[in-house]
This record gives sequence, structure tokens and C-alpha cells, in this order.
Amino acid sequence: MKPKVVWLQGVTCNGNSHSFVNLSGLDTLLQRYEWLYHPILPSSLSLMQLWDAKCDILVIEGGAKKGWQKGEGELEKLFLHLAQKAKKVVAVGSCAVYGGVFKEFDDTICGVLFDGENKSRYYDMLADKTINIPGCPAHPEWIAFALEAENPSLDSFHRPKELYAYTVHSGCVRNEYFEWKIDAEDFGTKEGCLFYKQGCQGPFTHGSCNKILWNETASKTRVGTPCFGCTEPDFPKQDLFSTKTYMGIPATMPLGVPKRAYLTITGIAKSFHIPRLTKRLLDED
Amino acid sequence: MKIELIEKIEGEAFLDVECKKGRIKNAYVRFPHYRGIEEILRGRSPLDALVINPRVCGICGHAHLHATALALEKLVGFGPNEKVRKIREITRFCEMVQNHVKWFYLVIFTTLDLPYDFRSIQAIIQKINRLSAIFGGQWPHSSYVLPGGITCDPSVLDIVQAKRLSNQSRELLEKLLGDFELKNLSGDLRRLFDALDAKGLLYAGKSLDRFITFGNDSYVESFKILSGKKRPAKLHYIEEFSQPKSRAKGVVYKGKFYETGPLARTMQRGERFVKQLHRRYKDSVTTRIFARIYEAHLLLKKIQEHLQTLDIGMSSYEPIEIGDGEAIVAVEAARGSLVHRVCVKEGKIVDYSIITPTQWNLANGRDGEPSLIQTALQNARCEESDIIFRSFDICSVCTTH
Amino acid sequence: MEAALKLFSKEGFFEVTMADLAKELDMSVGNLYNYFSSKDALAKELILYISKILGEEIRRINLLPISAEEKIHKIVDFYFHTAKERPELIEYFLRIYLSHREVFKNGCEGMICVGPFVTEIMIFFEEGVRSGELRDQDFFSAFGLFMGYLGGMVFLMGEGMLPNDIEYYTDEIAENIYRALKNET
Repeated sequence: MKPKVVWLQGVTCNGNSHSFVNLSGLDTLLQRYEWLYHPILPSSLSLMQLWDAKCDILVIEGGAKKGWQKGEGELEKLFLHLAQKAKKVVAVGSCAVYGGVFKEFDDTICGVLFDGENKSRYYDMLADKTINIPGCPAHPEWIAFALEAENPSLDSFHRPKELYAYTVHSGCVRNEYFEWKIDAEDFGTKEGCLFYKQGCQGPFTHGSCNKILWNETASKTRVGTPCFGCTEPDFPKQDLFSTKTYMGIPATMPLGVPKRAYLTITGIAKSFHIPRLTKRLLDED
Repeated sequence: MKIELIEKIEGEAFLDVECKKGRIKNAYVRFPHYRGIEEILRGRSPLDALVINPRVCGICGHAHLHATALALEKLVGFGPNEKVRKIREITRFCEMVQNHVKWFYLVIFTTLDLPYDFRSIQAIIQKINRLSAIFGGQWPHSSYVLPGGITCDPSVLDIVQAKRLSNQSRELLEKLLGDFELKNLSGDLRRLFDALDAKGLLYAGKSLDRFITFGNDSYVESFKILSGKKRPAKLHYIEEFSQPKSRAKGVVYKGKFYETGPLARTMQRGERFVKQLHRRYKDSVTTRIFARIYEAHLLLKKIQEHLQTLDIGMSSYEPIEIGDGEAIVAVEAARGSLVHRVCVKEGKIVDYSIITPTQWNLANGRDGEPSLIQTALQNARCEESDIIFRSFDICSVCTTH
Repeated sequence: MEAALKLFSKEGFFEVTMADLAKELDMSVGNLYNYFSSKDALAKELILYISKILGEEIRRINLLPISAEEKIHKIVDFYFHTAKERPELIEYFLRIYLSHREVFKNGCEGMICVGPFVTEIMIFFEEGVRSGELRDQDFFSAFGLFMGYLGGMVFLMGEGMLPNDIEYYTDEIAENIYRALKNET
């Protein structure tokens, strides 16, 4: 018997649904489930018929907002009704996990288990059956993992450790520049680390973007765009594309690294001049 | 008065229809949701908009990214070099192509109950988005375009891979669709035509036959077509208006309703395939649907051209200082012209306004004048409302942002 | 370490040989070379030694729950007190380390050997700016002001040009530094 899935949307931009469509071998995955509802892909029911749907897995994309219309009724009622009957709830995308970017306009919007960093009004009800897959959008492999994995090990934000224990920094092609503290002078080059000036949040953002690449080929930092920390509860921060510093020292340290350790290492690294790393990569002889 | 919930249009919308003797007499479109992007931008630093604006929409967020960067560049009068322009177009066109392919099969073919090869289509979509990611880092929600240029510095390897992906995508799509020869349709294009014919839809959904495009790039220019005459279109004649019971605003140009999107663009370009259809079927669902999927083919060709002529030796980025001021720009998105207006004061965004293509196409009439969608639905058979509606390729999330 | 510093201070760095030092420590020269492969190696160890001493105290000050203004006062106070009570430490730093870079060029590149000390100054600045008390600026501008000022005073003291005991100047200098670095807004 194929598990029945309902993919329900709250306050969303649909990014996660479209990210999901990029999954390699999507049709093979889709065939393992019975899709009662999906916002883009073919499904057997319409929104109006969802109330009576009996789903095993409820995927929720987008934030929860009181008074948000869904079909004929209200989103929250439908969501709770389906969530209670489901065996597993998968919150896909940072909006469904924490409330997300649209909270900035309406602070009452919250995620399934979390409202920003704090527990949401639904936490006690749904904590034992929810897997959180934050990201803006969530990576299709992460979504597939949540559907397929049985009781994965989760962190304190109910995110699968296998996906979120890494930092976005792990696997970035510019790691050498980070190691030797060579700043990127500006955007548009392959060289230099984007952490010091360009606001890259990779070193302290949970995610596996540079391990499981995006669209099987790239990631933000691989094309010179700083990581914006979209898997974390405080996304989006202010003044992106630039690093907040205090007297030239980055305000946020790499994950788990004490400031003294970081400064000591930085001092040592900056004392050395590595010619290969100061030249343009493709110019090197 | 019947209320129809139209779903799977990047969100939902309500269509209030009045049916008499099986024919639509009155229609009103309502978009129920609002997320407040324009308010969120107020008080933020200009570059933050490059991250926030793509979140207006998951399927056309990339166009919003481009419009944002362009608006900020316009504030200081900056124009990027040819390499940057081409790469930006490559990724923007990729988004448009995958938009059209998704809509063509997942919306139109589904609505008409036509079978399709999901696996092949998904493979095409995947390849196109992978192509985009070579430059953009990821799709959806890249932020690789910023005022001054782009963040990436592609190498020959990137171009080689991109070329392969564009060739594969085009080949696969053409295999599914068949040739764009009206007298010799085959494949999915033939199936589509036959289905429209069988359901008596070939002439359905004719509307105002007025087209407008505001973007300026290597594909189109800012023109309107009114009564068959092509004239320059200027941004300052655009006017937004509130609509009762809907969170979406309507838009007019010099007080008139216009259609924006692939049909407008291909008509402007005088594309033979579309003009042939238009001669016979005017701006019916047939012409509209075929023009949209035809554009996917045209844009894939454009992407190939750009990859062929790209000079990666040029610089990717030039630092510019975002000053205070106001700027309004337009960029072509999948569904039509996308307009962004930004106002920066003392280094922060004080106002931001977004007008999306669906606001044009799905505006409701006013002052007694029927709008584009209303004209298309007028006197149509009641059961045709869904296909006529969907022929416009709606993006519900964009429309209300 | 202390013996070496005192000897260098009394006789002069270049004048003292490893043999002299060994005699002072009452050990054979061969044995001394077991600890330090050369005089240059010893020179570098000494800098690290001094940095750690200074660094530890500044770290202690950093961890106190007091304002940046008060911390500045404590740092100046400590620095001048050390200069007075253990002149060989600061003298070595100013007159050997800073003035004879060629001795230190291999193995003490950049800030490696003064790391413990510089790190604590960085922490002081970072926390001061984060709390809003100090103005955000380039690290070296602030560092030069603070350390250049203190070093300069100790240098003058060493030359016998200060009419008063160095600790006489602590309060005014601390205030000057605070006023120069504080946040105006």
C-alpha cells in the first residue's frame, strides 16, 4: 500500500514545490506514493476535497497564518485537521519551519513547530511526528530524504542531522582562501573567501549545499554569491551582501569556534603570504 | 453567480462567474492572498532586495532578481558590459523556458486531459535549471545578479557544459513537440491542436487583441500593439488601481487594458508562426497557447546563440555605489512585462513597487470597460472558463506579492 | 626566561652570548643548547613568553564585567606598572623585538609571536564596538593609537626623559585613549 501524501501550502512563494520538481529521478520517487494533493504536479483530489482526505504524510510548505483562506475554508483548520490524522508531517522550507521571510510583514505567521527560534503554538501537538526541512527553498534531495527516511536522527530544531549537521562552508571551492584568510576583493572573481567582507554566512549556517550541490552542479558560493543563512530561524538578516564587523573582526564566528581561537588562527594565517593564493587561479603557472 | 476556485496557478484565485443559458455573461477575478513584500522592503538596505524580491515567486523569482538589480543600477545610471548582459539573459531565458514547459504540460495538457511523457519533460526542466545554476548557483532563488554585474566568473568548462545542456534541452523538447510548422504539426503540438479542435476551443477566448511589452533586451523592445499598429511604450503611462474584494491591483496603459506575455512578444517580433495563427484565430486560446510554447523554442535558440558568442574574458563586476533617488525599470518575465520601481533615501529603501504580468492580464474591468480576461470569457461556454483562464498562464503569488 | 631577560637588559642583547647566559644559569652551554637551538630561537621564545604574560592579564581584564572605559584604565595601569616593576619585559619588546626585526624574521612572521597579546587587544576592541561604547573603525587605526601611545611613553621612560614616575601619567593617558576611541553617537 503506497503511503498517501498531501502537500499543503500556507503563506508561501511556491519555491519549495519548484525546487522539488528539479529532483533527479523524480518520477521514480513519485511512484512510491499516492499523491492526494500537490500544488503543481498531478494529484487525485482538489483543494475542496481535502478535508476528508486521509493522508499518511502531510507535507506543509509555507507559514501558518490565522485567517488565511484555503479552498473554501481556513488554512489553519485544514492543516491541523490533516496533521492530526497523519503519521508523519514534513515541514518543507524555512517558512513552514520557522515562519520565514513573510513574518516581517505579519509577525503572527509561524512554522509548524517553531515561531522564529521559539516553539510555536503547535509544538506540543506535533513535535513527535514532524521533520523539519528548512531552506529557502529547501533542496530537493533534502525533501526526498524527509519523505523516505524512517525516524532520522534530528537536532534541536528537528532537522535531520545528516543534512544539517554540516555547515554550508563544508565543501565550498573557496575553502583554501578561508583557511589562509584571503578576502575576496570584490564580487565577480573565483578567488578569495566571501566571509570577511561580502557577508557569506556559510561558516555558521547549517546545511549541506556544498556537499549535495544545487541542481547537481553548483551552489551559491561556488558562483561567488555569499550564503545568506536561509536554513536558520533569523533568515533573512539585515544588510546582506556585506559582513558585519566590529573593528574589522567578523561579528559572527564560524560555528562552534570561540572568538579567541579564531583570532589566534587568523593572526597566524595572515602573517604568511602564500603567493599561489593571491594570484588569479587560472593564471597560475 | 458561481464561485469557481481555480487552483494550481502558482497559488489560487477565485473566479466569480455569471452564467446564462450556458454562456458566461459576467466574470470577476479575485486573488485572496497578500504577503506584503513591498512593506517588508521599506527601511531595508538596497541590496537586501536582491534576496527578498525573488521570494515574491518560486517559479519566476529570477526575473524579480533581474528587475531589482536593474532598478538599482538605474539609480546611478550604470550599464553593465556585454558579457554580463548575455549571462543575465541566459539565466532569465532559462527560467522563462522552464516556466513555459511546466505550464504547457502540467497545466494545459492536464486541463485538456491529454497524456504526456512526464519523465522526458521533467528531464528537460531539470537540464534547463541546471544550465541556469551553472551561472546562478541554484534555481530557484539565486541572487547572483547584483548592481554592478554578476557574482560569477565562468570559465570555458562552464560554457562547454552549458552548451551541452542547452543542446540537449532543445533537442528533447523539439522531439516531444514536433516542428513549429502550422501546415505540418506533429507530436505534442499536433495533439494539442486536435484537442482544442475537438473541444471546439480553437476560436475561444478571443480578447482585446492589444499587446504590450516594456522590457528591452536582445529579444524584444518596449512596444505596444494597438489596432495592429506598433508604437513605443513608455513606463510613465502605466497606472495601477485597487480592485474591490481582491488583493491584486489592476493595471492599465493610458487608461486601456493590454495583454502582456509571449503572445505580445512574438507578435512584436513578427514571428511567422504566430502571425499565421493570429491571422486565423486572432488572440484566442489557440494563438495564446501556441505562442507561449513557441517562445520556449525561440528562447532556447537565443540561449545557444549567447553561449556561442559569449566573451568570458570580460569582467563580471564593477563596484558601484548605490545613491539616493528613484528609478523604474521593466524586465521580461515568463508571463510578461515585470515592472519594478524603487525609491532610496539616505541609503535605505523608502518605497518599492512591483507590477507583475498577471496584474495586466487578469485585471478586472473598470468604468464600464471590460478587461482582457473579461473580454476573453465573455460569451464563452461556461465549461470553457477554466481553459480560457489558464491560457493566460497565471501566477497567483506574483500578482498579490 | 627571566634570567635571560635581565641579562639582556643589563648587558645588551647583542653583547650577551649563549655562553654568558649559560654561566648565569649555572648550566653548561651544551645543556643550554638543548633547550634553545640558537640565540635567535631563544629570542623568539622570549617574545612569546612576554606576549603570554601580557596577554593573560589583558584577558583577565577583558573578562571583568566592567565598561570599556574602565578596562582601558586597567590596561594602561597594568602596562605602566609592568614597565616599572619588570622593565626588562617591555624594554625587550620595544628595543629588541620591534627594533631588530631581522632577528625575528624566520618563525616570527607577522603577528605570530605576539599572538596571545594581540588577540586579547582585538577582543577588547571587538567587544567595545559590539557594546556600542567604542567607535567602529579599522583595527590598525585603533591599535596604533593605543599601543603606539603606551609604547612611546615607556620608550621615553627608558630614555630617562619623563620628569615623573610613569604611573603618574596613567589616569590622563587612559582618558585620552578613551576619548579618542569612544562612540560619539
